[in-house]
Amino acid sequence: MPTTPETSELSADYLRRLADVQPSDLPPELDLFDESTARRGIRLNKAAYSLKDAHQRDLFANDEEAWMEQFGLTDGERALVRARDWIGLWRGGMSIYVMVKLSGVTNTPLPEIGRQMRESG
Amino acid sequence: MARIIGGIGASHAPSMEHVYDAGAEVRESDEWAPLFGPFQEVSEWLGAVKPDRLVVIYNDHMDAFFLDAYPTFALGVAESYPIADEGFGARPFPPIAGDASLGWHIARSLVADEFDITICQELEVDHGVISPLPMVDFSESDSDWKIPIVPLAVNVNLHPLPTPRRCYKLGQALRRAILSYPEDLKVVVAGTGGLSHQLTGTAFGAVRQEWDQEFMRLLAEEPETLCDYTHEQLIKLGGTESVEVVNWLAMRGALPVAARPVVEAYYAHRIMGYGLAAYDAAGSPA
Repeated sequence: MPTTPETSELSADYLRRLADVQPSDLPPELDLFDESTARRGIRLNKAAYSLKDAHQRDLFANDEEAWMEQFGLTDGERALVRARDWIGLWRGGMSIYVMVKLSGVTNTPLPEIGRQMRESG
Repeated sequence: MARIIGGIGASHAPSMEHVYDAGAEVRESDEWAPLFGPFQEVSEWLGAVKPDRLVVIYNDHMDAFFLDAYPTFALGVAESYPIADEGFGARPFPPIAGDASLGWHIARSLVADEFDITICQELEVDHGVISPLPMVDFSESDSDWKIPIVPLAVNVNLHPLPTPRRCYKLGQALRRAILSYPEDLKVVVAGTGGLSHQLTGTAFGAVRQEWDQEFMRLLAEEPETLCDYTHEQLIKLGGTESVEVVNWLAMRGALPVAARPVVEAYYAHRIMGYGLAAYDAAGSPA
């Protein structure tokens, strides 16, 4: 950061704390749900979160395309849902906690998601 | 005045719900007795110390809160906490009784202490609360919960997360909130989550037994040391989702430093490092 009259107010302790809330040196097999994931995944997360509601689960079961239509998913995101591509959904920004709701409505056991995750490297 | 007589640290996980709901035979099986036996000990300890309230520090898993407005700290001030439907239908437990008066008092005290929590008059609780709770606080003969709760949710899902030190200080502030409550209540503070687990990526399923046990030792003996860890360090040591251990650290902050576990158990199994600790704080100086 360049030193200006303003930035000189920013102590080293503050700058360390600012850096610490954004882990930046993680190996590739460890990932975060943070700004980039949250921004990328907002549509997918809204869609999967909706499955808390039994009516949404019924709609998913009866007409998956109509269910997806509600959330403005992109063509690429729809393809990931149709393919039950858990790695792709994760890379697309879907939180594991809403992914679990999608796993329920698609009868996918967590070990199957885990297998795909482990084999994605 | 209210007193804090103890603390509980416990993992939470859907697997614990599946095993609990499968009944006594499964809970007592060779596979699961190493987890459920110690929970039985904690249940007996709770039965002996007889708390009037449980404050449960936990994290929601996008069952009550969503990304439209994600609270960093959220406190329940309701008279009753229904069980959340996490996408499979809610587990068939009755709502858990709350204590709105105590909740509101804690809200005022935390804000006075500069913890500006989200205040929730309605809150559905998910497995962050109700995967460990039935093991220690549910009467199967009465089909009801025994002890009213005040839930306190911490964001461990959406980075930036509150730091470990901040969570410890939250526990210290929670201690002041309870000690200043005029009603003569015995309170146990619980923190749920962790220990090591990794649910995404090629490291899916990794469990870090050595770190988990070191974490439990540090929590008991040197909780201030844990405040110096960054989330990045915790993730490298225990996995992305293991940052839930900050809920244990918040619980520890509410107890005297001199408090020590009376029950302590650890079981690494499948994709989880399951931890359990019960602290007696009744006789410890603050």
